[in-house]
Amino acid sequence: MDGNQLLQRLGKLRDITSMKEVAPLTNAMFPGAHCPLMGAAMAVRGIKDALILIVGTDECAYYTKHMTIHSEEFGGMMGRCVSVVLDTRDVTFGCKKKLELAMRELVEEYRPKAVFLVTTCVVEVIGDDADALADGLSETYQIPVLPVHTEHFKCDNHMPGLERTITACFELMKDQKKRGTVNLLGQRMGNFETTELSRMLREHGVRVGMQLPCGCTVEEIETAPQAQLNIVVHTIALPLAKKMEQKFGIPYVFFNKFTEPDHIYEAYQTLFEHLKLPLPKEIDTLYQEAKTAKEKAYENLQGMTYIYGNTPFDCMEFNQFLTEEGMIPQIIQISSFDEEIDGPAAKKISQAADPYVAKSANIAPMQYLYDVLHPNLYLGHEFAARLRKKKIAMVHSDKASGMLGFEVTTYILKELMRAAEEAKELAKEETR
Amino acid sequence: MSLTRFLPTPSDRMGILWSLLAIEGSVILEYGPAGTTHFSMGLFGELDLETQNRLYTTHMSESDVVMGDVSRLEKAILEVDQNNHPKVIFVVSSSVAAVIGVDLKGVCSYMQPQVNARLITFEQGGFRGDYSIGLKETYTMLTEKLVNDVAENETKENTFNILGTSLWSYRIRSDIWELTSLLEEGFGLKRQVCLCTDTSVDEIGSMGRAKINIVVNTLALPAAKNMEKRFGIPWILKLPFGYEDTWKWLIEVGKIIQKPLNSKLEHQLQEKIRMTMQYQMYGRMLKEDKMKAVVMGEYDTVEGMSGFLESIGFLVEHKICAHSLRGIESPREDIKYVMTEKDKIDLMKSLHRTLVLADDTMMRLCEKDNTCLRISSPVTQGMVYARHLPFAGMRGADYLLEFVEQYYQTLR
Repeated sequence: MDGNQLLQRLGKLRDITSMKEVAPLTNAMFPGAHCPLMGAAMAVRGIKDALILIVGTDECAYYTKHMTIHSEEFGGMMGRCVSVVLDTRDVTFGCKKKLELAMRELVEEYRPKAVFLVTTCVVEVIGDDADALADGLSETYQIPVLPVHTEHFKCDNHMPGLERTITACFELMKDQKKRGTVNLLGQRMGNFETTELSRMLREHGVRVGMQLPCGCTVEEIETAPQAQLNIVVHTIALPLAKKMEQKFGIPYVFFNKFTEPDHIYEAYQTLFEHLKLPLPKEIDTLYQEAKTAKEKAYENLQGMTYIYGNTPFDCMEFNQFLTEEGMIPQIIQISSFDEEIDGPAAKKISQAADPYVAKSANIAPMQYLYDVLHPNLYLGHEFAARLRKKKIAMVHSDKASGMLGFEVTTYILKELMRAAEEAKELAKEETR
Repeated sequence: MSLTRFLPTPSDRMGILWSLLAIEGSVILEYGPAGTTHFSMGLFGELDLETQNRLYTTHMSESDVVMGDVSRLEKAILEVDQNNHPKVIFVVSSSVAAVIGVDLKGVCSYMQPQVNARLITFEQGGFRGDYSIGLKETYTMLTEKLVNDVAENETKENTFNILGTSLWSYRIRSDIWELTSLLEEGFGLKRQVCLCTDTSVDEIGSMGRAKINIVVNTLALPAAKNMEKRFGIPWILKLPFGYEDTWKWLIEVGKIIQKPLNSKLEHQLQEKIRMTMQYQMYGRMLKEDKMKAVVMGEYDTVEGMSGFLESIGFLVEHKICAHSLRGIESPREDIKYVMTEKDKIDLMKSLHRTLVLADDTMMRLCEKDNTCLRISSPVTQGMVYARHLPFAGMRGADYLLEFVEQYYQTLR
């Protein structure tokens, strides 16, 4: 594969306004993006007494169950992930009858508090009305059956699956008397209790109510409107937060997994303003420490070239942070782009460097670009041995999945500096 | 009886994919939503299959689905051909492509002149049945399309092929090792190709030169018959379990290839056959219990293991095939396919003081007074590393007898 030819296929960040303008490196992709069905399963995992009922092919059902069998939260093989497997007959005549029979068994055996009825590609192609079916089943069994559509041919990755499942929870919510708690919306991985943000809230007397989807019950979702504020830590929860604001009058604060100290500080300020509490002094201290760390890191990081794969961070915000550290993005692989949200950061990145953009989740052809671009670093998931052969150091960021606040900045700067040192060593090996 | 609580039986498409992934020199290109491909990697990793540079997806957008636009597939075929230089590109339909009726064969037909790789399509999409149907179609298709012609006067090599292997079959690599050892020791035969595990396009191409086809899975029978017709290669259908079965199988192979069985090996087997005779007596000595078993797995495994257990005095109460019997030519009446999960659950929960040979999920449902042994996929507890711990053949019988002994100790 000719790396130069591959590069010619790609556009520049400065030119894009939507995902439609972002080309994949190749038409034949490996491994390809994750499925929204997987996203839906990830979301239901954290809702302790709810079941996921997948309606789809043997394959969709197999892989999703396979993903959950080693998950304690799901309850393993005997756990909360079940399915209705469709055959040719169901594809021809519809899945209504089979679904109704399955639901009867499910209710008798599992007695769930809620069921997420997750439809997959084939159900959407044959046009079964899953919403109407879910309504009918809710009425029959007097338990909430929430439809979630996860056809992958209408979206790019697994995030819509998470977003739709979380948003579907809105139907469970009932108006409540306000009790002064805050809800945490959108944390996909990790334990919120161990985050800096959680500690800040705890130490200043703020009680956290529902944590969706990282750990809650159906009852906690029902009573979530008792909160005075929603803290949204990922864009997947924005539609739900907006709905809750509209119906229950609960405002929200967007406290994303930012890396830039200024953004984190602003998020803390907004949060404590909403809580009508003075900003804790420790936040000022942490802010100054993070800024100092960023300044110090500049010396080590400036001039480091990199290819951006995927990380737990906000893609554009993080890349802006990196360019402010003097680093040079060569290719940024992205899975979503919203001009309104991402445009300003993209503009700043493009002013500092002039990176190419490619659709994410296609690492196979990426190996042919290493000899053309010679990046120092790769940020995200790749085969480590392959990178090492090409004298590229890998930046690991998965640990940050369970972090929120200035701890994110501190962690990633440390990891970037470690990787930068490794890249320098690898370069020395080359010259020896 | 419509709810699936555990892992469903894999589909025909899944069986096709894990078989084709075992062929070096080929690339699989899936035409469908990318998520399925990515999701499948967990299973393929567990089956110890390499996916890097072997498995690709085109993804599919809404407009591809609605408008039937296949340009994405055309471009991907050209790319894989130019970039990977495979000898064969297997173009595999997804469930979505199958439902909307994409004409993959048509696309590959007009794309074929533009590429060097041979294009072979699989349009099943997961709706023709379970994986057994996919395996049968794959074995048949590979022998039809990938095996090279052999000149009429070309002498047969002193080799054998094994037909009907699949990495889904629990401990198949160990069983292959055992059968290979036996045939080498017994007749000096060398293994040529295993269809379809750990092989390559070139190896499959050379299958026509073997002296005999060892068919270990009834699903590969059409493939064996096809090769008999094309190349005159005789075949024997059996996955031998137990000493006597193994001895008989070797004698039969000897008759086919007209070679006597190595006397040392034959003597060894006869000794072991004599040793197992005591189990009939052990059974009669029990005061309260009977030696009884339930065997649940793939068709040929169920048939073979049940036969072995019955030969040493067991009553095999249930012989259950883990896949449909639709692909099996004239299945035995005593081997049943239990279609609904609920029926299997009820059966497993009802067992007591029984030797249960099944998969991890079914074993978990059994009461503790049973003795359980995993003989079938899916493997959900731990991993399979060994390639020298077979169930089949002489060493397989040694291993199975250890569990029989363990079970016997629980009986009164």
